[in-house]
Amino acid sequence: MIKQSITLLALGAALVGTVETASAERRTNELAKDVAVRHRRLLVKNRFEVAPLFESTINADFRHIIGGGLKLEYHLSDMLSIGAIGVGSTAIDTKLVSRIMERLPDAPDPMEPRAPSKDEYSSRLNEMPLHGAAYVSLTPWYGKLAAFSQAYVAFDFYFQAGLAFATLKSDCPTMICSDTTPGESKPGPGGETIPPDNDPNNDPPLNDGQRLGLFLGFGIHVFLNDFLALDLTIRDYAFDDNPSGADYNANLAVTDDDSRFLHHLFVGVGLSIMFPTKVKRTN
Amino acid sequence: MKPLRMRGIYRSVYILLGLVLAAQPALAQPKKPPPKEAPKGGEAEPEIEMSGDDKKDKVDPEEIDMGAEPPPADLSADLSAAEQSDQVVKAGPVARTPLSWKDILVVVRKPFLKAKRTELYPMVGTTMNDNMIRHYTLGGEISYFLTDVLAIGVEGQYYVDSFREPFDLVPRQARRLPTVNKYNWSGALNFHYVPVYGKFAILDRKLITWEVQFTAGIGAGQSEVIPRDTTFDAFTTLLIMPNIGANMRFFLAKWLTVNVGVRDYMFIDKFEPTMRVEGGMNDSADEAKSNASTSFINNVMFQIGLSFWLPTSFEYTTFR
Repeated sequence: MIKQSITLLALGAALVGTVETASAERRTNELAKDVAVRHRRLLVKNRFEVAPLFESTINADFRHIIGGGLKLEYHLSDMLSIGAIGVGSTAIDTKLVSRIMERLPDAPDPMEPRAPSKDEYSSRLNEMPLHGAAYVSLTPWYGKLAAFSQAYVAFDFYFQAGLAFATLKSDCPTMICSDTTPGESKPGPGGETIPPDNDPNNDPPLNDGQRLGLFLGFGIHVFLNDFLALDLTIRDYAFDDNPSGADYNANLAVTDDDSRFLHHLFVGVGLSIMFPTKVKRTN
Repeated sequence: MKPLRMRGIYRSVYILLGLVLAAQPALAQPKKPPPKEAPKGGEAEPEIEMSGDDKKDKVDPEEIDMGAEPPPADLSADLSAAEQSDQVVKAGPVARTPLSWKDILVVVRKPFLKAKRTELYPMVGTTMNDNMIRHYTLGGEISYFLTDVLAIGVEGQYYVDSFREPFDLVPRQARRLPTVNKYNWSGALNFHYVPVYGKFAILDRKLITWEVQFTAGIGAGQSEVIPRDTTFDAFTTLLIMPNIGANMRFFLAKWLTVNVGVRDYMFIDKFEPTMRVEGGMNDSADEAKSNASTSFINNVMFQIGLSFWLPTSFEYTTFR
């Protein structure tokens, strides 16, 4: 009886010891199941973004398009947003145009029948007083950076795709662009047929009006605080255009066939203001 | 004697029982006094416990478990843990869990060290700001990082040219032949500084570390005129080419990064004179070169490439 009691006690003690050993084991690291970024500031989700911006062409051939505008964007989630952008611009001749103009005659030169005069050349270059896009934006990357070990800021990269629109303008006076039937014969006096003049320099440039095309862009938000961000973007507005307004396909006439699908690359800098200004956080 | 022996056995049993029972409260007792009340106007400081909790269900969520003495640094284990921690989980409700010594990083260390390592950077590039001629480059740079943010390097590039649309349009539409130079090669001694360092998550899944590097250097290159009339000889010019630039470096592995950047190579170039007459003015390349017009050029290049790092691995010299 005594032996049995001792045995039971010993077993009990051993059992208690086992339980204690189990409870004293090191816990597993439960952070492995946890979210990677806790208390993350949802800097864009369900927020409306208004961004006054400045935009300029990159490496334009004939005229730099420089202007200001507004970007409006609603962020459906942290990754997906929809928006629109509109920019009013002015045009500045590139250095290439300046150099060409230096070498052109002031007036049509009979010795150089194919060479345009300064006015013939410059008046057919077009401008882009208004352009913009409606787009869907994807923000697959977000993160934070330390600049000079002092400034710690959040940022995200985004990619945009959508429809581009542009209003093109060229002012070629009728006294210069006087050919009403470029590349075509026309009836002359006495029932004669006047053949095409084969002079593209007096043809209307046909590079104005409204254009629709494709829009692509990518950029970065660098958040200065919870509701202000620096917005740096490269945008490509692609649509039919003939920036020089001259004969492109060498058929000695300016026609619609001289327009081609061109990419108009812009770099933009803006200041994004997020509404509401108070930012939410994850748990 | 017999009763005495029995008493001895009973005594032994009681002592054993006493020891077992005494051990329970000792193990279950808190190892320290209860937490002090939080000071007014502030949150309670979390306690730091130097040993493990007694029972799992009695864990104080405010406690910081110091655990046992950390084992010696194990790089592979660290890297494995770092890779695991790179997995981003979608944000949602977070279960409050006790912290442990292993979980707390006062300063998260960089996953990539560059100090005293050599970067081999084969790259390709293209012109960004010339609307007449586009150059493609094939080149490379070898850089040695003196520290994690400072490096010195040597680069070399070979240029291949192609004409852009205006090169054809201008003669056809304006009846003027463009004066264009092409570049043959360039080399430079560069100094790099890395002031910006960050990380980002891709699609909420993968964390990528990146940095921004600024570069300034001095070098030389060679340009060659493209004669408007191919019957004339071209001439070359040796260029002194300082450069400045910035590039982003994305860390893919301990020995591999992707670099994307922009560099502005600045120089004064000589261009073919306007007038060249066969058998007369500026007929020879030397004469044309001596009468060449000069212009300051910014040749802005977009560059991209993979960097290979030597040694291929590194070791941390500080704690996590």
